[in-house]
Amino acid sequence: MTSLYAFVAGPLAWAAFLFFFGGLCYRLLSMLRQVRQSEPFIFSYMSLRYSLRSILHWLIPFFAMGWRRNPILTGVTFIFHISLIAAPVFIVSHVVLWDEAWNLSWWTLPDAVVDVMTLVVVAACLFFALRRVLRPEVRFVSDASDYLLLVLTAAPFVTGFLAYHQWPAGPWMTIAHMVSGELLLALIPFTRLRHMLSGWLTRAYIGSEFGAVRHARDW
Amino acid sequence: MSKMVKTGVFVLLLLTVMVLPAMNVYSQEDMRAVDSSAFDCPIRPPAVFAHDDHNDTAGIDDCARCHHLFDDNGRKIEDESSEDQSCADCHAQEDKGTVPGLRKAFHWNCKGCHLQQRTGPVTCGECHVKK
Ligand code: HEC
Ligand code: HEC
Ligand code: HEC
Ligand code: HEC
Ligand code: HEM
Repeated sequence: MTSLYAFVAGPLAWAAFLFFFGGLCYRLLSMLRQVRQSEPFIFSYMSLRYSLRSILHWLIPFFAMGWRRNPILTGVTFIFHISLIAAPVFIVSHVVLWDEAWNLSWWTLPDAVVDVMTLVVVAACLFFALRRVLRPEVRFVSDASDYLLLVLTAAPFVTGFLAYHQWPAGPWMTIAHMVSGELLLALIPFTRLRHMLSGWLTRAYIGSEFGAVRHARDW
Repeated sequence: MSKMVKTGVFVLLLLTVMVLPAMNVYSQEDMRAVDSSAFDCPIRPPAVFAHDDHNDTAGIDDCARCHHLFDDNGRKIEDESSEDQSCADCHAQEDKGTVPGLRKAFHWNCKGCHLQQRTGPVTCGECHVKK
């Protein structure tokens, strides 16, 4: 068991971070190359000012028309994404590990707060899945991969919660948690979860086109 | 024997009986877990650690493997140990130069050896067991 842990916490963790960062860089380059090949004129009106203007407006909950059209979905999406990022970055357990491996440490959230955020992420995943089942117009455009991505996302949170509360006792839930977290990280650039990168670029492009070409707002 | 001497011996015996257990309330033989009260604000259950049984099964004879001493240049002093001191006497809450903070000192010491020897607990819940 200790050997398995050493493998999962060592080479497998390195591989996961390599796939994550390497994959995101690869995605970024291939997106830029694609634009240059098919629509190079886009670069001529890309503007930092209009890009940031669009991104900032869309970062405010319920501000953009697109956010107001579906208020419940918007609310769930916002608290889901905030919890999804903040919980793993600011949980004591992870910061302890960064500190011991690299002498790096930063501000942490109390365990009870992370517990609530974890449940929020899992509940939001259930909400997204149910919505796909219940809404005909969403069911129509959903396939198995949509549900698999939700399972992939929820898995590190479910297993992390169970490991923390020691249900069941012993090392296995923690091992499952580490493997599922590493799987998620490694697959982000190669699934639709890559929107964590491309989402910002899409807003930058639309923001620039509306700001610099159409002289209109895009929110 | 005079009555006074008899009373004196009696009082002395009584005192000894009363004081002895107070002098030997606790030793490493009775230790079942590492006391976490040296931490400003402990947030985990104390780590299970049956001192003597652990070191017997793990086959650690050298007390200084854990109770170590260093000279001023940070070189370990062989053949000397520091079991008369607690780890917290030398390890502060935060890192100080090359001296790791208390939590890191425990984790590097315990988990470090378990990882190196590929045996013994390494996940949080196996050491910080909830009661
Ligand atoms: C090999 C055993 C071992 C493992 C594995 C271990 N710890 Fe510890 N930990 C200790 C010992 C011993 C102490 C010192 C005081 C005590 O008993 O809690 C300690 C102290 C701590 C402290 C400071 C005291 C407190 O309660 O706030 C924290 C926080 C902590 N550990 C978190 C963790 C986390 C998170 C993990 C998993 C990533 C972990 N530990 C894994 C043995 C272990
Ligand atoms: C695997 C590590 C380890 C080894 C080896 C070890 N100890 Fe300890 N010992 C500890 C820890 C951890 C504590 C708790 C220290 C603290 O709380 O600061 C402790 C505490 C003690 C205490 C204080 C007990 C108390 O009640 O506070 C004594 C005495 C002691 N050890 C003696 C020894 C002797 C003698 C040896 C060698 C035969 C030895 N130890 C070997 C880890 C070890
Ligand atoms: C007499 C003071 C003193 C006591 C008591 C002490 N340490 Fe240390 N420890 C030091 C110093 C000084 C260093 C830094 C050495 C250096 O500069 O590299 C250190 C370094 C360490 C390190 C990192 C280097 C290494 O050897 O792995 C660990 C881990 C550690 N201590 C654990 C412990 C534990 C656990 C205890 C209690 C069982 C303990 N120490 C008790 C003084 C002490
Ligand atoms: C020098 C190496 C070494 C150090 C230091 C060490 N351990 Fe261990 N530990 C072992 C080995 C080896 C085993 C496996 C023993 C066996 O064969 O079951 C073990 C097993 C354990 C176990 C399983 C049950 C038992 O008691 O056998 C616990 C719990 C444990 N260690 C806690 C700790 C804690 C807490 C510390 C730090 C205070 C610590 N260990 C420091 C070598 C070490
Ligand atoms: C994106 C990936 C990851 C996410 C989203 C994530 C999330 C979480 C969550 C939600 C918890 C528990 C929260 C709670 O209920 O208190 C947790 C705990 C933990 N995570 Fe992760 N994690 C991820 C990756 C990893 C990786 C790669 C490792 C190992 C290298 C790891 C190690 C741990 C450990 C050791 C705990 C503590 C378990 C305990 O306290 O017993 N996690 N994580």
